[in-house]
Amino acid sequence: MEPVGFWGHLVEIAPYTGYVYPNETAIPWTVLIVVYPYLTGLVAGAFTVSSLYHVFGMERFKPVGQFALLTALAFMLFVPLPLLLHLGHAERAFNTMLTPHWTSAMAMFGMFASFYLLLLMLEIWFMFRPYAVRKAQQTSGFIGRLWHLASLGSDDLSAKAMRYDEKWIFALAVVGIPSAHGLHGYVGFIFGSLKSREWWSSDLMPVVFLFSAIISGVALLIVLYVLSCRLRKIPVDLACLKGLAYVLWGFAMFTLALEGLEFANIMYKGREGIEMIVQYVTGPLLVPFFILQFSLGAVIPITLLTYMIWRGTTGKALIAGVTVSALLVLFQVWMMRWNVVIGGQEIAKTGKGLLTYQMVLFHKEGLLTAIAVAIAPLFVLLAMVRVLPPWSAGAHAHQRSVS
Amino acid sequence: MTNPSDPSGKARREFLRRLGGVAVACTGAAACSVAPQSGGPVAGPDPSPVKDYDWTKHHWAFGVDATKCIGCLRCVEACKTENDVPGDAHHFNTWIERYVYLEGETKARIDSHHDPVNIAASGSEKEFRFANRYQDAKVEKAFFVPKLCNQCTHPACVQVCPTGATYKSKDGVVLIDDKYCIGCQYCVQACPYGARYFNPTKGVTQKCYWCYHRITKGLRPACVEACPVGARIFGDRNDKQSPISLFIRNNRVQVLRPESGNEPNVFYVGIDKEVS
Amino acid sequence: MPRHISRLLLLFVGAGILALVARWYFTADTFYQFGHFRGKAVGEIAAKEPAYQTARYCEDCHTERHAQWSANNHKSVNCEVCHGAAKGHPENGKLPIPADTRKLCTLCHERMAERPRPQPQIDPAQHSPGQQCIVCHNPHAPKLAGVVAKVAGDAAAGAKTHAARCADCHGAAGVSPNDSWPNLAGQHGAYLVGILAAYKSGAQTDAMMSPIAQGLSDAEIQNLATYYAGLRCEAKPRKSRLGDPAAGKALAKNCAACHGDAGIGGNPAWPNIAGQAPEYLVNSLKAFRAGLRKDPMMAGVVRGLSDTDIANLAAFYSAQNCAPAAKVKETP
Repeated sequence: MEPVGFWGHLVEIAPYTGYVYPNETAIPWTVLIVVYPYLTGLVAGAFTVSSLYHVFGMERFKPVGQFALLTALAFMLFVPLPLLLHLGHAERAFNTMLTPHWTSAMAMFGMFASFYLLLLMLEIWFMFRPYAVRKAQQTSGFIGRLWHLASLGSDDLSAKAMRYDEKWIFALAVVGIPSAHGLHGYVGFIFGSLKSREWWSSDLMPVVFLFSAIISGVALLIVLYVLSCRLRKIPVDLACLKGLAYVLWGFAMFTLALEGLEFANIMYKGREGIEMIVQYVTGPLLVPFFILQFSLGAVIPITLLTYMIWRGTTGKALIAGVTVSALLVLFQVWMMRWNVVIGGQEIAKTGKGLLTYQMVLFHKEGLLTAIAVAIAPLFVLLAMVRVLPPWSAGAHAHQRSVS
Repeated sequence: MTNPSDPSGKARREFLRRLGGVAVACTGAAACSVAPQSGGPVAGPDPSPVKDYDWTKHHWAFGVDATKCIGCLRCVEACKTENDVPGDAHHFNTWIERYVYLEGETKARIDSHHDPVNIAASGSEKEFRFANRYQDAKVEKAFFVPKLCNQCTHPACVQVCPTGATYKSKDGVVLIDDKYCIGCQYCVQACPYGARYFNPTKGVTQKCYWCYHRITKGLRPACVEACPVGARIFGDRNDKQSPISLFIRNNRVQVLRPESGNEPNVFYVGIDKEVS
Repeated sequence: MPRHISRLLLLFVGAGILALVARWYFTADTFYQFGHFRGKAVGEIAAKEPAYQTARYCEDCHTERHAQWSANNHKSVNCEVCHGAAKGHPENGKLPIPADTRKLCTLCHERMAERPRPQPQIDPAQHSPGQQCIVCHNPHAPKLAGVVAKVAGDAAAGAKTHAARCADCHGAAGVSPNDSWPNLAGQHGAYLVGILAAYKSGAQTDAMMSPIAQGLSDAEIQNLATYYAGLRCEAKPRKSRLGDPAAGKALAKNCAACHGDAGIGGNPAWPNIAGQAPEYLVNSLKAFRAGLRKDPMMAGVVRGLSDTDIANLAAFYSAQNCAPAAKVKETP
């Protein structure tokens, strides 16, 4: 018999009621695996907003068009981190790329994520190429050489080159839409494709994940945009904000409908183990699902947005209302991720028992790590907008005429 | 990123050799398409990866006769010792469940040795014993059910493994390469039987593998060896007179959760509707 | 094509080739050899040394034990189930079974409704509470000699045989005049059948009893046993100078499961020892201890007894009434 090691003592053992398989008492996926789809979702959502501007030509989103791309990148850079922290052997993570097992949703995710990250970086590179070229010309010394390197040693800003760039940007943005959304739909598939858990095993799971991703990303942009205006001491572009509010409002209602459908499906079909699910939903899930996710996170912001759109609210009231709604939606999606990832594991595979996940504070997979990972992209974004100012007129796509 | 089969000393020469291979492939063929799937040249045909054992000649299977099980848990003890399973109440390659129907109750009361009452009876998490908790109750029907990895024909765990660290062997056992496993625990989630667990000390997933190191040497799995009442049956289905072939032939056997589509290879006799 | 585009594409091609080479180089040697896994891993898993070595491993050295075990009821319980995994034995030391055999044996034999009926089960609260199992049961041959022999003879014929061949030593009324020989009056018939058959077959030897028993037919043994069992024991309780009956009484708790609280046992397979001569009792116990009298159960019981213990026990049992007024209740 092997002695119980260091992590073995620290990893929390879940208390349970009813009958659960002995091996289930150690919950495999922790709060970090809640952070992971949350971050991925923010990426997909932020990218959606940038697409609205770059592909669909919605001029009102111009103030956030490029900022959305940088936000997506900042968060995308941190998507692998919670996974790596969670792995038992992070140093072997590249095995998924060396010998990807094609039937595994997770191996596919690695490929998708790398592709999307590359695409995102390319699009941003094209977008900021004129800026980099100008910087390379203006700056001297080491920094100048870095800018030179970043522009691949070419200072070609001719009309022909710019036309080339525009084609690339458009193509990348078009490919980016299915990529970003496919990526996040895939995260839903990671959960939805498992037949071992009734709570996850749903065909709707990828779609639910996708739409909740979009609203979380839009909400994040609203909050960050309002915040950035405060920091830059410029007025909030109300048309842009209202546009974002419309997107949030529409998708939030759609998400709510999808989640309701999925929930109804599980309950109505009432397959094996439904008694435990009912017991779970009416017990431990009451507060996190019905009160926090559903009421506070979904119904209140939707009502608030509906009211403001109906009354034509504007000015400071609109800014405050939309920001509050966005914060609530961000919270809703966090709770949704939590209720899916943790909730699925709290319902025992036996169908005859419930577990309680015990989150620890100080641990490789504890709450503090999770918070750090979730907040870190914001600091990276802060640095990013210093280097590549997404609001400056020098950037590429601002000159692009959209019909 | 590691190259588990390469001790660092040989790595350089090996790299140069492989690089030469790339160069040849590039000059020889018009399209410089390296086919990494070949995994480098393999010295000679090797019919079996195990010495003195041909894995194409066997088809292992397992039987459980729940009508015989006395719940003594000697199998669990043997398994924990044989296979370096963490010595606590949360990691088991095999375990026993107890189903008890009391008079006037329609649902079985289920527990296993990881239940605190049973741990109290055994004295520690490293010992295993079923507390006699129903001795004063009116028991209508009661029995024990041994559980272990089903070594499914279509294993959900293998399907979801991102690296190929778990796989189905040619003789019918689902194995784990603990030098290749990254410890993502996706397989733990995918198994509907709760047969897999994560070993936090080793950082990899573990599970029952029918004592592959024993059966390839002609021995029986440790739990079969330890069972005092013959509730566990093991053998080769290719051998029509093996204990498992006879067990399957002479009984009406069933498997757990057939609706999962995994096609388990542990065959049960004497279990009840509540067992899953 | 503008320069930055061509350079970008070149960068891509370069990175792509680098990635392919890196992948090729870092992919484990035997990956894909048999399928989507590291072929070598199979051999690594199979190379592990077994911890449980099976009974065959034990047989070579422990031949006698193995023979006894494999001929008895525990033959389905392999050596390592109780002794633990044999890997590293004998180099790393002995493999005794756990000291608390009551805990060990009840793992399988505690009565539970969940256990299948055919499994032999006891109620620990009733079955010799506080007593270690191996005191009475030999784990290698656990079933007690308690194969209770049938006693159905002719008492009158037995009386004749007794007068002719036994009365000289064991007394006319079955109460021995000599301290070295046992009283037979009121002894359990089944025990007598068993012990006489053992003398006759040679399973048990005694300089005096062996030739006599060999001259008895099975029918005569039955008759004798019936006769003695029906005889009332007239022996008087005696005081022994050899030992302390009070100390003996404390020790006798360990014997009570088979021989009763005061030397009159409930099971007819085992002898009554109340009121026997202290010298006879001392001799018998010492003979068991020395292995001269063979009985797996008694061998286990006397193993830990000192000479003083034996004398004290003898003093206690010889002071007991061999024919108590209230008839001992026989267990079914």
